[in-house]
Amino acid sequence: MSNPQMQTTSNNPFDIFVIGARKGFNVAINGLVPNIMMAYVVSEILRILGVMGFLGKIFGPMMTIFGLPGEAVTVVLTSWLSSSAGVGVAANLLSNGVLDGRHVTILMPCFFLMGAQLQYMGRLLGVADVPKKYWPLLMVASILNALSAMLLMNFFFA
Amino acid sequence: MQEKDKNEQTSRVDVSQWHAGPGAFAALLVAIIFFSGLLVGIPGMPWLSAFDFTTLAGKFGTINELGKNNFVGVGGIGAKSGFLFALSLIPSVMFALGTIEVLEHYGAIKAAQKLLTPLLQPLLGLPGLTGISLITDLQSTDAGAALTKGLYDDGLISKKELIVMGAWQYSGAGMITNYFMIGSALFNVVTCSLMIPLLLIFIFKFIGAIFVRFVLNTVYKGDFENE
Repeated sequence: MSNPQMQTTSNNPFDIFVIGARKGFNVAINGLVPNIMMAYVVSEILRILGVMGFLGKIFGPMMTIFGLPGEAVTVVLTSWLSSSAGVGVAANLLSNGVLDGRHVTILMPCFFLMGAQLQYMGRLLGVADVPKKYWPLLMVASILNALSAMLLMNFFFA
Repeated sequence: MQEKDKNEQTSRVDVSQWHAGPGAFAALLVAIIFFSGLLVGIPGMPWLSAFDFTTLAGKFGTINELGKNNFVGVGGIGAKSGFLFALSLIPSVMFALGTIEVLEHYGAIKAAQKLLTPLLQPLLGLPGLTGISLITDLQSTDAGAALTKGLYDDGLISKKELIVMGAWQYSGAGMITNYFMIGSALFNVVTCSLMIPLLLIFIFKFIGAIFVRFVLNTVYKGDFENE
């Protein structure tokens, strides 16, 4: 995806598969593992401090619109900072029995539609030179996207 | 060897010039307390253990039922549990990206671009030549951003078109790669077809960009009068 030199060295589909798999390994080791580990630690801190339960109570009524328990708000908030951390928190809540498969299914588009916005401000909007004045508009659009997608998932697909 | 000498020298110079303010001592104090284990089991204040290293390092899950639990086990907590869980995801990530690499090699991306291009003008008011940047964004956020900047720098798109493209790319950036790389962690519990969330993300990229285009044409109309 980012290394055209490696792609042109072979036309053998098995070699090409291995190149992709190697990319996957690198990304998993350098991206997924540290991020998910961090998400598990942060979730544990929030759980011990009782923040998880507190957020669950406060946001409970709001999250029911999406067919989610109140605690799922932590997943939504974390996704905004980092998609992988959001997935990690969801996985953690899943293993604690707070979320089930249906909840995760509803959350699935949200991880990415409003995912990692903070990071992508620099990596995308900054690099593409989108004028800063319009960044908040794009951010609002992304969040609306994520919320609408969760509604659709809740009513039709999950 | 020379390199090493240089490093040692610089570190010696640095030490003499180090300035430790109150923040530095506070950080040291936090480090000492965090690793000390003093915060565990204080009567009446169990929440203090949220700031203890050993507590947060957690424990691995245990394999309670042979033939039922995998190596991640059940009942794990904290960093150890997160690590094992993340390890269990690596095979599906590698497999997904390997497959995508092969499909990409055989032109799946080019076909997607062919299909996408006719939609750009009517839906987003973008010229067809923006298709390649947008398609690239589906795979790589960074490469898509660089291509978009190139189009604007070459004067091929206007400022308004740049913002609409930014909106399309920003929400669900790197969609395909991220979905299969990160989302695959949860694929085994998803209750619908795996394509549905992905398709929704794709559709909402358009809806978000149409929304932004609408706002630019109304609220921010004055900004683009001389374009």
